[in-house]
Amino acid sequence: MNRFPLLALVAAGFAASTAAFAQEPPFPIAAWSRTTASAEDRGTPVERGAAVFNNWCSACHSRGPQNAPGTASLQNKYQGSVPAALQDRRDLTPDLVKFFVRNGVAMMAPLRKTEVSEADLDALAAYLTQR
Amino acid sequence: MPKPPPGVAERDFQAALRDLEGVVGREWLFATDEDVLLYRDGYSPLWGEAEERFPSAAVAPNSVEQVQGVVKIANQYGLPLYPISTGRNLTYGGAAPAYSGSVVVDLKRMNRILDVSARDKTCLVEPGVSYFDLYRHLRTNKIPLWIDTADPGWGGLMGNALDRGGGYTDIEFRDHFDAHCGMEVVLPTGEVVRTGMGASPQAKTGQLFKYGLGPWIDGIFSQSNFGIVTKMGFWLMQEPEAALQVSVTVPKRRDVVPLVDTLHSLMCAHTVPSQVTVASPVMAGNNPELVRLRGSGGVSDADWDRFAASAGGAPFWAATFVYYGPSKVIAAQWEHTKERLSGIAGVGFRETASYTFPLSDEQVEAVADKARYGIPSLNLFSSRSAPGAPPLEGHIDFSPMIPPHGEELIALTDYTGKVYADQGFTPSFVAGMMFHPRTMICFHAVPTFRNAADNGRTRKLFETLVRGCADRGWPIYRIHPVFQKLGMEMFGFNNGALHRLHETLKDAIDPNGIVSPGRYDIWPKRLRGSQA
Repeated sequence: MNRFPLLALVAAGFAASTAAFAQEPPFPIAAWSRTTASAEDRGTPVERGAAVFNNWCSACHSRGPQNAPGTASLQNKYQGSVPAALQDRRDLTPDLVKFFVRNGVAMMAPLRKTEVSEADLDALAAYLTQR
Repeated sequence: MPKPPPGVAERDFQAALRDLEGVVGREWLFATDEDVLLYRDGYSPLWGEAEERFPSAAVAPNSVEQVQGVVKIANQYGLPLYPISTGRNLTYGGAAPAYSGSVVVDLKRMNRILDVSARDKTCLVEPGVSYFDLYRHLRTNKIPLWIDTADPGWGGLMGNALDRGGGYTDIEFRDHFDAHCGMEVVLPTGEVVRTGMGASPQAKTGQLFKYGLGPWIDGIFSQSNFGIVTKMGFWLMQEPEAALQVSVTVPKRRDVVPLVDTLHSLMCAHTVPSQVTVASPVMAGNNPELVRLRGSGGVSDADWDRFAASAGGAPFWAATFVYYGPSKVIAAQWEHTKERLSGIAGVGFRETASYTFPLSDEQVEAVADKARYGIPSLNLFSSRSAPGAPPLEGHIDFSPMIPPHGEELIALTDYTGKVYADQGFTPSFVAGMMFHPRTMICFHAVPTFRNAADNGRTRKLFETLVRGCADRGWPIYRIHPVFQKLGMEMFGFNNGALHRLHETLKDAIDPNGIVSPGRYDIWPKRLRGSQA
């Protein structure tokens, strides 16, 4: 249930389903058709990483701070010194991506291996560190 | 390496882990320090303290048979298990166990949507299915059904329903446990049962009729530790032709009484179908005078109204809700609502959003209040990203339930605001949230920290609120595991008769005491009295 009833009134935008990004189909590899047990092995690591990003990260970290609380938070933190959207960063390293996925930060809780498997995490790191 | 569960010898623990690995495979047994940390409650009010709840390991089965295998091993070695579904029950404990040393049974891999019936408007899902998963499935397959999502929507149908969470759409769906129909449970003995009509092997009505034959047993698997639920059916909402979101405002503080009385009456008459939030544009905000008033307790209506006038004259209360259905019906419902409320001097009516369905992806993206339309999102967290907002490390929810009476909402906010202020916390303003047809829930986000001193203050505040509100007739409906013993004390009629009944059932259903010991303070005989 809503836990910040008043603050929720200012929430706007939707980030999970429709990121306008060439490597992100609107609803890629929905979890209903698979289980984490059978890791996705389709496509290149970057393509697979894009699907992982869309499935697990984009609801908070897609482009457009108005649609993505994680992006808005990074905008506040860095004040534009680096891009707020993770997909636009060029300074991320695989280790850094993996650290935050597994450790979380502030309100972001860590993602477990049953959510983002080790193979999926490698792919996500490849996607977010592509140059 | 993590320590074995209390009372389990290291050698037995290692043997048990080997056996668990044999059931799920090496990849899905987690028994290193690094792995176990992934099951830490990031919002724990005991963060870093000796009493913080940690598992000894985690195991992630992928089928009912594997769950049975895990349960069998647990019985053999006396391992306490702690099943989680998506593990996102943050503010109520997250993925961390109620009893330290438990082996988390992480059911996230069981994420199959087993059935969706567009004709019957039902679904059958496994524990790991998230709100996003089912929403995407319905969108992708153009099935004109809505889910009712929690907000934020990062959790899943089953876990939220079992902890008796709720959402925002029509009354038939937004009490998530009430919206379920049929479940499959692996009992602590390893036996699999199906409830309701699902117990009749050929029944075609497993997701259509809740009760089956004999006592309706489903309730004992909510907020409990009597089994591991592996499937649940849910009723889904038929996509309406249209929706109209409205705001009703009233100018004075005491106007909340007729406002809530009337809206409650309209809700009971099925004229207002959705969840209703009654919030105060006047009381929300952070200017020092406002914060002082919120924390004073017992400020008169006249003084509050004077403050409202001096602060720009915003209406004191605003109620937000949605009509769903054919446009003509909605128009009639809205007109009737306005007629019923017109006796409140200065009442204001505003249409804030209207939609016809289905929505395009672009329209979905533009919906501001997504949960009211069954669209999962994490937009709630945007509130933490406002410029200048301090980074919040976490919080736990204090969730008292009150009658749907405006005077109770005023009394509650007076009381809790003063408790916050007296203990050195900034009193937050709390809205009345009419999730259920005959109550309001008033969520208080109690901050948690990454240091023991501040968390000690938090725990003292939380305990004061729990006890004080229960004394005033406002007990909580759900509570973080660290406070479940305290919470159950508030339900102590007849010297704890309900708690004794829970534990009588526990002994009968879980004779070895292996499933979720301590959850909602229900302890198996072997551990009873061994914990603080």
